[in-house]
Amino acid sequence: MPVAFVVWRTVRLGASLPDTLAEVPAPLWRTVQLAVLVSATTAVVGTGLAWLTTRTDLPFRRAWRVALVLPLALPSFVGAAAFVAGLAPGGVIHDALTAVGITPPRRFRGLGASWLVMSAFTYPYVLLPVTARLANLRASLEESGRLLGFSAFQTFVRVTLPQLRSAIFGGALLVFLYSVSEFGAVQLLGYDTLTRVIYATRQTDRALSFASATVVLVLALGVVVLERSQRGRTSPDDRAAVASPDNVRLGWRVVPAITAVLAVLAVGLIVPLASLGTWARRGLADGRVAWGDLLDPAVSTATVAVIAAFVAVVVVFPVAAAAIRRPHPSTQVASVSVVVGFAIPGIVIALSLAVLTLNTPVLNRFYQTSALLVLAYVIHFGSQALAGTETAVRAVPESLRESSRLLEPRAARRLWRVDWPLMRPGLLAAGGLVMLSTLKELPITLLLSPIGFDTLATEIWGSYEEGFYAATGLASIALVALSATLTWVLVLRRSEVVSS
Amino acid sequence: MASTPTTASTIGARPTGRAAQRHRHDPTSTPAGAAVRIDGVNVTYASSSRSATVEAVRNATLHVEAGTIMALLGPSGCGKTSLLRAIAGLERPTAGSITIGDRTVSDTTTWVHPEQRSVGMVFQDGALFPHLSVADNVAFGLRSASSKLSKRDRAARVAEMLELVDLADYGDRLPGTLSGGQQQRIALARSLAPQPSVLLLDEPFSALDAALRLQVRADVADIVRSVGVTTVFVTHDQDEAFVLGDRVAVLRAGHIEQVGTPDELYRHPHTRWVAGFVGEANLVRGRWRPDGTVETLLGRVPVGTGAVRADRDARPEPSVRDDGRNDGRNGDDITDEASRDGSPVDVLVRPEQVDLRPGDCALVTNVEYYGHDVRYELELDDGSILAARTKSGDLHQRGDRLCVRFEGSPTEAWSADGDTVEGASTLLTP
Repeated sequence: MPVAFVVWRTVRLGASLPDTLAEVPAPLWRTVQLAVLVSATTAVVGTGLAWLTTRTDLPFRRAWRVALVLPLALPSFVGAAAFVAGLAPGGVIHDALTAVGITPPRRFRGLGASWLVMSAFTYPYVLLPVTARLANLRASLEESGRLLGFSAFQTFVRVTLPQLRSAIFGGALLVFLYSVSEFGAVQLLGYDTLTRVIYATRQTDRALSFASATVVLVLALGVVVLERSQRGRTSPDDRAAVASPDNVRLGWRVVPAITAVLAVLAVGLIVPLASLGTWARRGLADGRVAWGDLLDPAVSTATVAVIAAFVAVVVVFPVAAAAIRRPHPSTQVASVSVVVGFAIPGIVIALSLAVLTLNTPVLNRFYQTSALLVLAYVIHFGSQALAGTETAVRAVPESLRESSRLLEPRAARRLWRVDWPLMRPGLLAAGGLVMLSTLKELPITLLLSPIGFDTLATEIWGSYEEGFYAATGLASIALVALSATLTWVLVLRRSEVVSS
Repeated sequence: MASTPTTASTIGARPTGRAAQRHRHDPTSTPAGAAVRIDGVNVTYASSSRSATVEAVRNATLHVEAGTIMALLGPSGCGKTSLLRAIAGLERPTAGSITIGDRTVSDTTTWVHPEQRSVGMVFQDGALFPHLSVADNVAFGLRSASSKLSKRDRAARVAEMLELVDLADYGDRLPGTLSGGQQQRIALARSLAPQPSVLLLDEPFSALDAALRLQVRADVADIVRSVGVTTVFVTHDQDEAFVLGDRVAVLRAGHIEQVGTPDELYRHPHTRWVAGFVGEANLVRGRWRPDGTVETLLGRVPVGTGAVRADRDARPEPSVRDDGRNDGRNGDDITDEASRDGSPVDVLVRPEQVDLRPGDCALVTNVEYYGHDVRYELELDDGSILAARTKSGDLHQRGDRLCVRFEGSPTEAWSADGDTVEGASTLLTP
C-alpha cells in the first residue's frame, strides 16, 4: 500500500517532472557508490573473519566469535555520532591522536566517513550467515579437495568459497539494502544520499521528496529481486558436517590475523563505545545529564517496542499459518508482501504514511498518534516476525494437531496444552526481533511520533543536533545496553555460531 | 583376482562388468597398488573437556599387501574411521608410523600432507562438489599441481573414468541430480582418476538403501579389482566386510582384535567377542575330554586348534597379529594336556553346526523362515537357549520337541569363566 501511494503521488505531483528528475541523479549516484563500496567491503571483511574464527587455530576463537557480532547492537547512526563526537575537540579519538602527535582530521564527513561507519556496523550481516555455512559445511568436501592434490588454501578457493557464495551474496545484498535505505548515519555524516534528500525536502519540495522515494524503492526492490533470483540458481547443499576439519595452522600469520580482528573490533565497537562513554561520564560528572533524564524516553521506547512486537506477531501469524498449512498463490502473495515491507526504506514508509494521513479527511486525526507509529513499525518490521512465526507454525505439524484432536475434544484446552507450549519459542523469537529493530529505529520515529514522545533514538538524534554530546553519549550507552541484552538473549544465545 | 561377473539375479543388471573387462585388458592405465604398512599407530582426539583426550586408535599394527582389499570392520566408535583417516593424512597419529609403498608418510618426525600422499578416498556421503558438473568433479584431481596433464589427456581420462563406472553420458549433469548410487560411483571415479596408489573407502554404501547397496557394492568391488589398486575400506557391516575384503581386520574399542581372511575369522575367531561380531554364535559350556574334544549337551565337539584360548576380552592384548591364527605366539593357549582334562570350556557352535534330529531334549520356541534356510530358537532342558539354522527341508513348528547334535568341522573353545552356570549355553548375537 505505501508502495502504491508513493508511486501514485510521484506521478500526480509530476508537473515539474523534468526539473525534479534533474536533481535525482547526483544523490542516486552517491547512494549507489556508498552501497556498492559498503557491500563489497563487508563481503570481504565478513568472509575473512568468518574463516579466521572457524577454520584456523586463532587463539580465543570463541571469544572473537561473540565479540565480532556485537557491532550489530550499535545502530549505525549511533556509531556515526560516536565517531563525530570522538573526533571533536575533547573527544576520545581527538585526544588520543593529539597525544601521539597526529593532527586530528578537521572534519569527518562524506563518502569516506560514511563508508567506514556503515561497513564497521554492518559486516556482521555477512559474518553471521558465512560462519553458519562454514560450521555446517560437510568436512568431507574440503578433505576431498586436499586428497585430490590441493593445498589448504587452494582448497578454500576452489571448494569452500563456491559453497559460501550464496551466504556471502545474501549477506552482502542485505548490507546493500541497508546502505540504500540508511538515513541516520549519512545524515549525521553529511553525505547526500537519496534518503537525506527525502528527509530534507519532505516539506519544501514534496515532488522531489517523492521522486527520490520512488527511486529508493525501485533500487531496494531491485536488490531484493536480484537476491531472490540468485538464491534460486544455486543448488543448496544442506547436508550437515560429520566432523570438523583440521584447522589451518596460522603460525606467524597469527599476528596479522589478530591485528585484523582487533582493528575491526576497534572501529566497530571499542572506539565508539569509548567515545560515547567518555562524553557520558563527563556529562554525569559535571551534572549536566543524569540517568533520570532517560527514564521517560527509555520507558516510551520499551513500551512502543513491546506493543509493536506484539501487534506484528498477531498480524503476521495468520499469514504464516496460511502460507504453511494451506499453500496457495494468494497466501504466497500475502507472505511475500510482508517481506517486501522490510525492503521499503523506513523513511519511505514514514513519508507515505504521514502524507497519506495528513491529506485524507478521516485519517488525518491519526497523524502523529502512537497507533500510526506502531502501524509503520509493523509494516516495516513485520517480515522479521515472519521467520519466527513460521517456525512456530511448523512446530505443530498436522499429524500432531490431528492426534491431539482425537485425544482432547476441547479446542481451547488443546490450544493451551499443545499448541502454545510448542509455538512459544518461535513466537517469542519473532516478537523479540521486531522489538530489537524498533528500539533502534530512527526515521519512522522521527517523522511519525506524537509531539513530546521521545524514544532513546530520537533523544540521541536531538541532542546530537544540538551538539550536546554528553546527552548523546548517555542515551547511546543506554540504547546499546538495551539492544545488546536483547541481541544476546534472542539472537546469539540460540545461534549455533556461538555455541559450536 | 577374478571379478565376479554381474549375475542375472542382481537388480537391474548393468554392463559394469563389461566396462571393467575392457579396462582390465588395458594394463597400461592400471596403477600399481602400493602396500600399506601401519606400525603401532595411536590416534587421539581432544575431547570436549579441554584437558582430556580420547584415544580412538591404540597401538594398531596392520599390513595391507599391494593390490589387495582390506576391510576394517567394527561397531561404531571402534576407531576404524580414525585409522582410515590416519592413512589419508586427515588425522595425525600421536605414535607409530605409516608407510605407503616404500615411502614413510607419517611417523614421529615425518608428516606428508594429504595432498601429497597419492591416496584416493570415497566418503560416506560421496562428497561430490555440488557446484561442479560430474565431469569437472572427476577432472578435479587432474588439475592439481602434481598432475600435469594436457587439456586433451584430461578429457580423455575423464571419459575413461566415466566409462569405467558406467556413467559415460552423465558428464554434464550436476551431482545433485544423480541418485545416491550414481553419486558414489562418480566419487569413486573422481578418486581413481589421478591414479592413486591407495584407495580408501569410508562406509561408502551406508547411505544407500538396502536394494541399491548390494548393487553398488558389487559394482565398486568389480571396478576396484579390475583397476588393481590397494584398497582399505571401513564398514560396520559384517556381510560387506566378508564379501568385499580379501582380508578383514576386526576392531573393537580402538584396538585391532584380529586380522584374517573372512573364513578364518568366521571359523576360528580369537575371542568370544569376534565370534559374536562376525556372525551368530552359540557358546556352549562343556568339559575337556582326554582326546582333545569337548563333551557338551550337543555331544562331542572337535576343537580344531587343539588348544583353548583364554578369552582375551578381559585383558586385550596390545600386539596385533595379522598372520593367521595360533602361531605359537599366543601365550593364552593352554597346551598342557593334564590341565585340559575335565576342566570347563565354552565351545563356539555356529547355528548351522547344530543338527536337529527327532527326539525329546529341546523345545522349539521360535521359527524364522527365510526361504533359503530356517532359523530356530530352541530351549534346552537346562533352560538355556540355542540358535540353529537348517536348510528349509522338513519344517518344524513352534512347540515341537527335538534333539540337537553338533555336526561340523572343528571349532574354537575358550576356557570358561567361573560365573557361568555349568552346562549353560550362551547366545551371542552380533
